[in-house]
Amino acid sequence: MHAGHYISGVGHLALIGWLLLGDVFAAEPLPIDMTPVSVISQAEYEAMMAAQTGPQSVTEVAQPAAPQEAPQAPDVSPATDQATAQTAPAQSPTPPAEVPPQAAEPAPPQPPRADVSDTAPVLPEPPSEVAVLVPDVSDRPVPRASERVAPEPVAQPEPEATPDEVAQEAIAPSTEGEAVEEPREATAPEAAATEIVTEAEKPAAAPRQSSRPPSRRPDPLPETARVEDTTPAQPTAAAPEPAAAPAAQADKSAINDALAEALGAATPSAPAPAAPQGPPLTSGEREALRVAVSSCWNVGSLSSEALRTIVVVSVGMQPDGKPINASIRLASSSGGSEGAARQAFEAARRAIILCGSKGFDLPQEKFGQWQDIEITFNPERMRNK
Amino acid sequence: MIQRALTLCLAMAMAATGAGFASAQSQGPLRIEITEGVIEPLPFAVPQFEAETAGSAEMAAQISRVVAADLSGTGLFRELPATAFISTVGSFGAPVQYADWKAINAQALITGAVNVQGNTLNVKFRLYDVFAGSELGSGLQFSGTVDGWRRMAHKVSDAVYSRITGEGGYFDSRVVFVSETGPKDARQKRLAIMDYDGAGVQYLTDSRSIVLAPRFSPSGDRVLYTSYESGFPRIYLLDVGSVQRRALDSQDGTMSFAPRFAPNGQTVVYSISQGGNTDIFAMDVNSQQAVRLTSAPSIETAPSYSPDGTQIVFESDRSGSQQLYVMPASGGEARRISFGEGRYGTPVWSPRGDLIAFTKQNNGRFHIGVMRTDGSEERLLTASFLDEGPTWAPNGRVIMFTRETQGAGGQSALYSVDISGRNLRPVPTPDGASDPSWSPLQK
Repeated sequence: MHAGHYISGVGHLALIGWLLLGDVFAAEPLPIDMTPVSVISQAEYEAMMAAQTGPQSVTEVAQPAAPQEAPQAPDVSPATDQATAQTAPAQSPTPPAEVPPQAAEPAPPQPPRADVSDTAPVLPEPPSEVAVLVPDVSDRPVPRASERVAPEPVAQPEPEATPDEVAQEAIAPSTEGEAVEEPREATAPEAAATEIVTEAEKPAAAPRQSSRPPSRRPDPLPETARVEDTTPAQPTAAAPEPAAAPAAQADKSAINDALAEALGAATPSAPAPAAPQGPPLTSGEREALRVAVSSCWNVGSLSSEALRTIVVVSVGMQPDGKPINASIRLASSSGGSEGAARQAFEAARRAIILCGSKGFDLPQEKFGQWQDIEITFNPERMRNK
Repeated sequence: MIQRALTLCLAMAMAATGAGFASAQSQGPLRIEITEGVIEPLPFAVPQFEAETAGSAEMAAQISRVVAADLSGTGLFRELPATAFISTVGSFGAPVQYADWKAINAQALITGAVNVQGNTLNVKFRLYDVFAGSELGSGLQFSGTVDGWRRMAHKVSDAVYSRITGEGGYFDSRVVFVSETGPKDARQKRLAIMDYDGAGVQYLTDSRSIVLAPRFSPSGDRVLYTSYESGFPRIYLLDVGSVQRRALDSQDGTMSFAPRFAPNGQTVVYSISQGGNTDIFAMDVNSQQAVRLTSAPSIETAPSYSPDGTQIVFESDRSGSQQLYVMPASGGEARRISFGEGRYGTPVWSPRGDLIAFTKQNNGRFHIGVMRTDGSEERLLTASFLDEGPTWAPNGRVIMFTRETQGAGGQSALYSVDISGRNLRPVPTPDGASDPSWSPLQK
């Protein structure tokens, strides 16, 4: 019974002792730089000081150059200069007789002031450059936007693809049959779009069931959907190939290239749903969706019990903002019987279908954020209206 | 070494936590909550029912119209005119072109067929949820006699109403009321019965004596009412089928009135006025043994049972003003439930048991209102010169009452209103009407 306590106590004591005495938390000893120290005579010291006066003038020359580069520093530089002026006399008491040259040390900051004042008219231009440094934060969104510009062109060709067929027919009047085929090639991206739709429609239930698990692997999802079929095979095949045979490696690489091309042509279907992941919806965008659905949520024909029932309805969306009607299902309900929940769900489903028939106003670049929606219909405020 | 390992583990844990948090934020369905909606009539379409036999075309048209009128009369539905239809329903079994009905915003579609063979009438119907693209429930068929075609139409309406709203219907029901003719100072009153929509009025008594406050039995086959046939108010029990009546026992020198059945159909609760005092009694209809339920010096009257038969709500002026009280069905201590300004009277317990309807008089105007059984959430539904005598529809969602207009030539009429206060509309009657009592759904 107490043996365990003893063992535990001994173990803890050993651990504490080890931590205290074993230098566990001691930082690794930093390397110590050893510098030789030697005693010098007065003559050597004077000789050394005489040698230092030269370099001081050099530094003085260098200092004015710095203020010229730092234009707006005039206010700051005087402070630093004063600080140096204060520190300099404090250090100077030892050689008071030879100090005159040190009195010139505070002087050097002054020439820079004159230089600064002279260069001031030239500096207004740099300030504009400096001002650019301040809005660095606002500059960042720009590169972000440029990063997501890539998916947008992908979305744009979709609407342009269909009308482009007509435009291309006008362009290629000479080759009748070919002209028709060429625009079809251009509409290959559209085929990708249609595949996106079918993937979203057919496995309507599946994505919603697996929506939560995928949330554990956010970013990889879209890419792994494509890559797992292509690139993962390449590295795994590439690793053994060197050991096997170079010829086989060449063949497999060719096959992989072909597969990559084929899958790359086919993947346009996958990229579309993944590409417009985008940032989360803004509160305004969410509010717009909420208002849109609210305007079609008619509870006038609901029973009293149904008006006490809260239903959560899940719906899969198409990239064009239209709900996938077949995907609308009752996720959960509370507050009423099964029959009341069914009535409430039917009213909710009608609202989604009715107001979504023309597509909800949702940002396409954020499709990944609203591809699956769960709407809670809470009729609490509608009971006594 | 150990320090590095610990640092590595800590970094991994933080990274995993951060990644999980980030993923939880970035993925998963978009969630929004809707708390505000609209209250509008649901658009529906009723193409004329198919006539399966040569002689049933007219009947099919009439039944279609009754179904449409039933649903539209609730205020919960709005019929789309036939001129707006894009496609027609050729036959009862033909597939529905949902897109055509969706295009005109028909959210519910009712198709039906009528078959008349001799005196036998068959009516069948289907209900479709247009936007869901599926049938709502299974098709139903009713069979009966040609004379009962209105009842069959009402049954179709009840089924449709119930499937869409989730509540029971009230179309296949009747109303007994007092039919009034003549001027106010020489008004003749007769008991009459009709369909809930005012059709098929039949008179149950003549106009030789004044009749008041008819009340249906829970089964709808009998009616209690008060008559001055003997010179004093007395309670009678009328069999609706045979129109035979008999007076319930009463003590000499007393006035008995305001009767109402208990949910068991065997007990009657009513008021007896004797020596200027009015109290509530309960009587077994078969044995006619009466039991006193109240014994206060004040006026207690207008009793009404709760649906489970355990409580009685009534009006009393024991507090100095006319208010509503609830007591056990066997009598005993009563608790006041109305505390608003004005006078409360004629309370009626809802068939669903959740509300009590009442008449309220305040500031020279009369109101029909509802409140919870504990007196909370009082809500006035109407306001006029004189509104009184509420009665509940079988589903507890609609109230019918009497409204009388002002002046010497004022007339009484029946009105109905939804418990939300919407859809106030008159009930058509051939003459003046008052004191309605709504029957349960017919079997």
